[in-house]
Amino acid sequence: MNNFENIQSEWQNQPDIEGTDKGLKEVFKKTNELKNKQQITNIILGITIAILIGFFLYVKAYLEVKATLSLGLMIMVLIARIIIELLSINNLKGINYNLDFKSFKESLLGYYKRRVTTHYIFTPIILLLYVIGFLILMPYFEAGLSSGFYTYIQVSGVIVLVLGVFLIFNQAKKELYILKELMSE
Amino acid sequence: MNQENFNIIYSENYPKVMRLCLGYVNGNKVQAQDLAQDVFIKVWDNLKNFRKESSISTWIYRITVNTCLIYLRTNKKRKTTNNLPPDLKIHIDNDVENRESKFKQLYNCINKLNDDNKAIILLELEGLPQKEIAEIIGINYETLRVRICRIKDKLTKCVSNE
Repeated sequence: MNNFENIQSEWQNQPDIEGTDKGLKEVFKKTNELKNKQQITNIILGITIAILIGFFLYVKAYLEVKATLSLGLMIMVLIARIIIELLSINNLKGINYNLDFKSFKESLLGYYKRRVTTHYIFTPIILLLYVIGFLILMPYFEAGLSSGFYTYIQVSGVIVLVLGVFLIFNQAKKELYILKELMSE
Repeated sequence: MNQENFNIIYSENYPKVMRLCLGYVNGNKVQAQDLAQDVFIKVWDNLKNFRKESSISTWIYRITVNTCLIYLRTNKKRKTTNNLPPDLKIHIDNDVENRESKFKQLYNCINKLNDDNKAIILLELEGLPQKEIAEIIGINYETLRVRICRIKDKLTKCVSNE
């Protein structure tokens, strides 16, 4: 491989890279799996919302205006976060692969810029509203639930929050890195 | 488009797609196969949008470089290696070993290039007419010609260890 023509000829004559029937079947299988995965995501989303509403009714939060508002706030911000995430996933899926490389790269850059905006503006607002809702609810939990369940809610609330912040922070860091890489070229 | 026509598209274009993917993943065959599968899923999903303004191969090359760009950006930290397990290596004769080592060097040199230059040189290695490469990349033909000369020179020097 000492001149380009030689490299090119070796490149084009690489052995053992033919497509197989198995590979072709996998393409169709994976296509169907992706469609099913989308349906599963929708089902999980539906179940999550049902659980939240169920919990709302279980603790009889509707009897108290303040409790209704705070639990409603928590549910709304959770749903808002899920919707933002789903829209974002659809945006990424919707990037047009028929575009030329330069335009495609610009679309990708636009997508990651929007993601970073979400992480820096919307996510902190959502987290803050969630924590406010949670703190307002604490006295109601303490009064209405057994001490064991109350402790469980306190501990799990903090764990979920810390875990959530950690996961979101990691995702934001990863996407910021991708954005920097795309912008550096 | 029915499945039978897609089978033809798949078998005719798979080696081209696979070579490009191998170039993007440092010659790692398993990762390249996954990536090639991803490309053909997108080809199948987007066939209805294919407007026949270019040949189907050119269109598939376009989807391939775009899919590989996303892969490269979102899997940057994934370790890419084309090393074979030691027990398999024993059975490989010298010729194959020599060829593999040359390709390893070539893949390393390709992966030193930036995204744009990598896509350009991989398409040039495929022997695509430069006008089609310019169309796939989205830059004008004259600019591309100048760039290709520079990249070819850089790649050849790198492969020859100069």
